Amino acid sequence: MSPRWQHLQACSVIGAAHRRQQKPCQDASLSVELKGRDGSLQLLVVADGHGGHRYRLSHRGSALACQVSQEVVEQWLACTPLADPERWRQWLKQELPTTIHQRWLTAITADWALQPQAEHEPFSPLLYGSTLGLVLLAPQWWGCTGIGDWDLSAIDQQGQAALLSEEREHSDSEATGSLCQELDQQLWLPRTQLHPLEPQTDLQALVLSTDGVRKSCATDADYLQLCAALVDLRDRQELEEGLAHITQAGSGDDVSLAMAHRAARPRRSGVLPAGSWRWLLLLLAASGIGLGAWLITRQETPLQAQARQLCANPEQIQSNLNQRRAQFKALLEQPQLASQLQQPTSTDPLGALIAASQSGPIPGCAALNAELSRQWQRARTTAAPAKGKMPAAAAPAAAPKNP
Amino acid sequence: MPFPNVRLSNRPLHFIYLCDCSGSMAAQGKMQALNQAIRQSLPGMAEVARENPEARVLVRAVRFADQAAWHLAEATPVQQLQWRDLEAGGITAMGDALNLVADALQSPPMEERALPPVLVLISDGQPTDDFDAGLANLMRRPWAQKAVRLAIAMGHDADLEVLQQFIGPEPSAHGKSPRRPLQASNATTLAQYIQWASTAVVGAASMPASRVTAADAGGPNSPANIPLPDLPPTLLDPSDDVGPLVW
Repeated sequence: MSPRWQHLQACSVIGAAHRRQQKPCQDASLSVELKGRDGSLQLLVVADGHGGHRYRLSHRGSALACQVSQEVVEQWLACTPLADPERWRQWLKQELPTTIHQRWLTAITADWALQPQAEHEPFSPLLYGSTLGLVLLAPQWWGCTGIGDWDLSAIDQQGQAALLSEEREHSDSEATGSLCQELDQQLWLPRTQLHPLEPQTDLQALVLSTDGVRKSCATDADYLQLCAALVDLRDRQELEEGLAHITQAGSGDDVSLAMAHRAARPRRSGVLPAGSWRWLLLLLAASGIGLGAWLITRQETPLQAQARQLCANPEQIQSNLNQRRAQFKALLEQPQLASQLQQPTSTDPLGALIAASQSGPIPGCAALNAELSRQWQRARTTAAPAKGKMPAAAAPAAAPKNP
Repeated sequence: MPFPNVRLSNRPLHFIYLCDCSGSMAAQGKMQALNQAIRQSLPGMAEVARENPEARVLVRAVRFADQAAWHLAEATPVQQLQWRDLEAGGITAMGDALNLVADALQSPPMEERALPPVLVLISDGQPTDDFDAGLANLMRRPWAQKAVRLAIAMGHDADLEVLQQFIGPEPSAHGKSPRRPLQASNATTLAQYIQWASTAVVGAASMPASRVTAADAGGPNSPANIPLPDLPPTLLDPSDDVGPLVW
């Protein structure tokens, strides 16, 4: 059996230049484990909004690109066995670019309809321009695809890194391929790969990054050295601080990394006595259940859990949020409520989710973010409550416990 | 485990002046005006560099008369730059100057992580050597193709056609554009153009922003990768009163 993928991490850090100019981080990234009928698929995504006035909503474009990618892969996984890599290969090459492109256009069109400037400015996908790179990690294979100037490196069992995929189309310029262009599958095809994984495959880790990381390194050799050394990094805070240092001392651009490791190969160091296997299996099963429960409770914040619950029933999102109209208005009137709602001790995860969505898309499905945007828009256009009065549902303590 | 310690670097931004030093530049104080304009622009350029620490602004200069030569051969950080005056005398070996710059835009010596260079060609006359061969040689270099190429015509004798060839295809829209030769008719306008190139353009070229293909970013006839900033308002219209017409 091939070693499983583990230690998935994804991290985006605002560029030093954007921080100085008080611009939002235009990168987005995610790492997620998706459950299929015959196993788990790990997904890594990075997206790099172009920035600049012409692409001024590209921070939303990159976030929506990540969400749409997850939804598209999830849906395909639900109906496609992981044990059939050829179907996945064909899908990556032929259907995925079209599907993601269409869904992304739909998502940004819906997002634009909620923007205040939509009434007096024509819509253009350029406003949301973003690159997109994604890596799919199955037990028996891995694949990647995307568009734009992201980079993918592989680290072998000896710790040597090699560049597996880079954009060559625009190597003579600062330009990049983008989701905001008309769909051209020829821009996706060179970035599409699928490789089988055997127990003996010499692959320890994959590192996916936006262009800001590579451009911050003095040379490509330094970039590969960085990727190789990241394999042993487990501390998320150190990763964030390291990325912040990279952009500060390097390109100044936003920087994103998403990576995953393969577990070490099993070693035959001895044979257990007969009968010990049964106890060992029982022990493993028990600790697996415990570990699973611990991981679920430890890794998922209340806000993430709330988003997951809402996205599991997208048809109910609107009715759930409609009940919190007063809370949307109150948050507009009294910005300090947001920090109260997002306190770790808050008992209102939906309130925390609404508060978090005030500054942009939150981790979750596109349907949830679209409805949140619609609710914010409605709250802004309807009359504000009388000064000094706070609607009951707006107060963290008074909010209902369930959506 | 601590975060890996690898060599990081901000990105070099090479800014290269190509200055006409032919004998006609000695007339009507043009050479003196050019020296003064460049010298006066340096503090502003250094300030822009300070505000954009992710770009390392390095200045070089080529002079061309009977032949071309590096006036400032070393790529010099703008903060350390002391401008030595150019002197006029000779003919206009503009093609030779383009050859010289073409050699400098090879990798190496150009760093693989460099930002698109900025090339500013300033001339008051017509090339006397093989301009087409020089331009063709220059444009074979990928760094020249992605460079921001600007041209300033000093006086009414400048050959606008060759300056436009240096910049690239003329924009289809009418009106003033930095993608056409900038026409300086006196010391004041020259100083404004030099100031604009060394501050606004350097600022735009320093931005670590991705952009979609050049055609999408700047219109179908735009060869440039960098969205150029607007010209200063007083320079948008040639009829603006920016001083007496002396050249």
